[in-house]
Amino acid sequence: MGYVSLLVLIPMAALLNEAFKGGLGTFWSAATSTEAWDALKLTLACSLFAAVFNAVAGTATAYVLVRDRFAGRGVLNTIIDLPFALPTVVAGVTFYTLYGPHSPFHVNITGTWVGITVAIMFVTLPFSVRAVQPVLETLTSDAEDAAATLGASPLHVFRTVTLPAILPALLTGTGLAFARALGEYGSVVFISNNLPYHSQVSSSLIYSLVSSDQNTSASAVALVLLVLALTVLVVSNVVARQLAARRG
Amino acid sequence: MTVSYSGVTKSYRGRLVLDGISDVVNEGDLTALLGPSGSGKSTLLKIIAGLTPLDSGRVSLAGKDVTNEPARNRRIGFCFQDYAPFRHLSLRDNVAYGLKVQHVPRAKRRAQVDELLALVRLEAYADQFPHQLSGGQRQRMALARALAIKPDVLLLDEPFAALDAQVRAELRSWIRSLQKEVGITTILVTHDQAEAMEISDRIVILNEGRIEQAGRPSFVYDHPATDFVASFLGPITTLGGIAYRPHELELVAPDEGVETYEVRDVVRLGFEVRVVLEDADATTWVQLSHDQAKQLNPRAGQRYGVRVRAKVPTVKDAPAADHEGAK
Amino acid sequence: MRRSSVVLRSVVILYVGALLALPLGFIFQQAFVKGWSQFWSALRDPAMDQAIWLTAKVVVLAVPLNVLFGVGVSLWIVRHPSKLSRALDVVIDVPLALSPIIVGLMLELAYAQTGWFGSTFAYLGLKIMFTYWAIVLASIFVSLPLVSRQVIPLLRELGEHQEQTAATLGAKPGRIFFTITLRSIAWAAAYGVTLTLARVIGEYGAVLIVSGNIALLTQTLTLNIGANFDSFNSYQGFVGSLLLGLISVLVLGVIGIARHRLERKRYDSFV
Repeated sequence: MGYVSLLVLIPMAALLNEAFKGGLGTFWSAATSTEAWDALKLTLACSLFAAVFNAVAGTATAYVLVRDRFAGRGVLNTIIDLPFALPTVVAGVTFYTLYGPHSPFHVNITGTWVGITVAIMFVTLPFSVRAVQPVLETLTSDAEDAAATLGASPLHVFRTVTLPAILPALLTGTGLAFARALGEYGSVVFISNNLPYHSQVSSSLIYSLVSSDQNTSASAVALVLLVLALTVLVVSNVVARQLAARRG
Repeated sequence: MTVSYSGVTKSYRGRLVLDGISDVVNEGDLTALLGPSGSGKSTLLKIIAGLTPLDSGRVSLAGKDVTNEPARNRRIGFCFQDYAPFRHLSLRDNVAYGLKVQHVPRAKRRAQVDELLALVRLEAYADQFPHQLSGGQRQRMALARALAIKPDVLLLDEPFAALDAQVRAELRSWIRSLQKEVGITTILVTHDQAEAMEISDRIVILNEGRIEQAGRPSFVYDHPATDFVASFLGPITTLGGIAYRPHELELVAPDEGVETYEVRDVVRLGFEVRVVLEDADATTWVQLSHDQAKQLNPRAGQRYGVRVRAKVPTVKDAPAADHEGAK
Repeated sequence: MRRSSVVLRSVVILYVGALLALPLGFIFQQAFVKGWSQFWSALRDPAMDQAIWLTAKVVVLAVPLNVLFGVGVSLWIVRHPSKLSRALDVVIDVPLALSPIIVGLMLELAYAQTGWFGSTFAYLGLKIMFTYWAIVLASIFVSLPLVSRQVIPLLRELGEHQEQTAATLGAKPGRIFFTITLRSIAWAAAYGVTLTLARVIGEYGAVLIVSGNIALLTQTLTLNIGANFDSFNSYQGFVGSLLLGLISVLVLGVIGIARHRLERKRYDSFV
């Protein structure tokens, strides 16, 4: 167990230490520099959009996987895990080639928030699917069928029966996806073009600060991102648990 | 082999689960540990098995003190309520597990397993896996597995609780005849008094970590030592503040000089009929056999007298012990 | 209800296909766009060669270490609950949500010779950062919870009755562990191992920082691919990507089987 503390806690402490090395003032100016602020806004916006979009898409996908029977369902089920299996950098360069200056589709979304968001969507899809799937599986269609016999339309059934049941799991999964998206690097860095103030996400800002030997500033920005990610995780877990408890 | 335990005390998370209890189980007997949930009976069984440590007391098997022996040295067979099948092993390999531990050579092992599977009538399923079997089949497998090592004592923890009524009844009597045939000392934990009454040689009634009474089923039923035992072992009906067994009261015509009650409800339970009666300040019920009910044909609104059939109410003064059960 | 599900099904398949399957297929196409012989010589490029070997060496150390840790900590958390083990449960999950860049930064700050422990290490002549060992460390960090997240729920569900039964049948603790405990969690562990393997092979951001990205020395395969693209050597990059893509497909296959086996175990309990 000393293994674990060596690994996780000490580096985190070191980060904290470094971030405040120059004092609170330095920390604040580094963390809220225009560069950092722009990057954070971009990162937050793209991650939020992708996470929420995939919450919806993921639920639809999970629904199809669980309730529907069709040829190729197994393939669909397996390919969902691709983002867990494929290295982020491979996804990143592929997206750049597919949707960048040499795109076979003649689109170019490099350096745009669209490009970044698409890359993040790739990475975050499995989170919501795999979070919702087991809940849907144990939820028999009985409740849904009962509502249907009472005259409810499929959408109404979904909204009033299915959704409340999957909401806690969906929240946890989306929270994790969002936290992960905030720090995503490999899949985003190629398509994002990395122009400071314009198309730079927080993680690449941190990297460029590190490579130019500005560890203290890098730590400041990193700390903010870290706290944000952990907060998202904690909040989504707490809310999910509250929801689950209320349902009884 | 005789099983005896004395002064067994166990606390768990600040709560006293067993309070210095002692008893002896005779060789070849099937003893039922009967009691409500939380009475400590499963804990006691696990202590006898060596799966749970006790705080104080002793456990002896066949005269040998095994209090400090781990489970694997006690030569016991144990069946959990969930049967605990080894999910990754086939039925045959499940049953063979204990034999493999004893390094029984393969041919001999296979022969013994086949014999056991035949005994529990699962030969046809030998190569299937637990998830392919029904609850009752898994129960029989658990039994065969436990018997494979030829234990001195068989310990069963609510073996029938998870089965449906019919399977439970069949398995119950089947295990009883098996136990008699093999002659193995058995302790069975249950919360079902009908089950305990039906198949045991001796009942030990536990409540809140203490033995309320122990003795032969019929004796304990007719001579309960405490109110708890009386109400736990069977249905109780009251008349004039005194508790009776249902078969001790009878319905008579209203004019025979006894208190009359008005019939409120007639419940038909198949083989018996329960007539619920009430008067101004009390409710009571009387049990009629199917034929009696047919003859009398009681209906709501009618009035009957309720009278004690037996001469002496048996619940009131019960002898302290059952001497016919001891050996 | 049925017709709308066909529409929904098509939409989902289209979305997943465009987002996930298309890129994968594209990699295959790009790697072979110049034909077989070019492909083979690209594979034998010295930088790629070294990258493959380095990645393999990292995997050989990092994955088994993490599996041992994962199984061990899972057993401890489930079978011996305490305040400490509950805290550990939470701490282990943290690496999942951390940005790999931040991980790399943290590790460098803590273990570089200019860092916290740096002076001690420098004194002992130990250099961790920018070496193979740093890559192993980073790999273990990012994949820390992957095994235990699979094994812990299974252990909780299985309970201890199987092991206790084995004890009554005469088995000693060691035997019980190998014949019952390990076998019971086998598929969950396999699933976790596969995820760990994929994560270790595919880690980019953290390794980028802690390794120094020195070509022909401390460049893993992922770094190699990145470097190639940075220098507009995209064909070479795609060849490397194909290699990793193939491994990913294999990993996907194993994950699929493991999940199938696990689900069967979970729902077979009391049918």
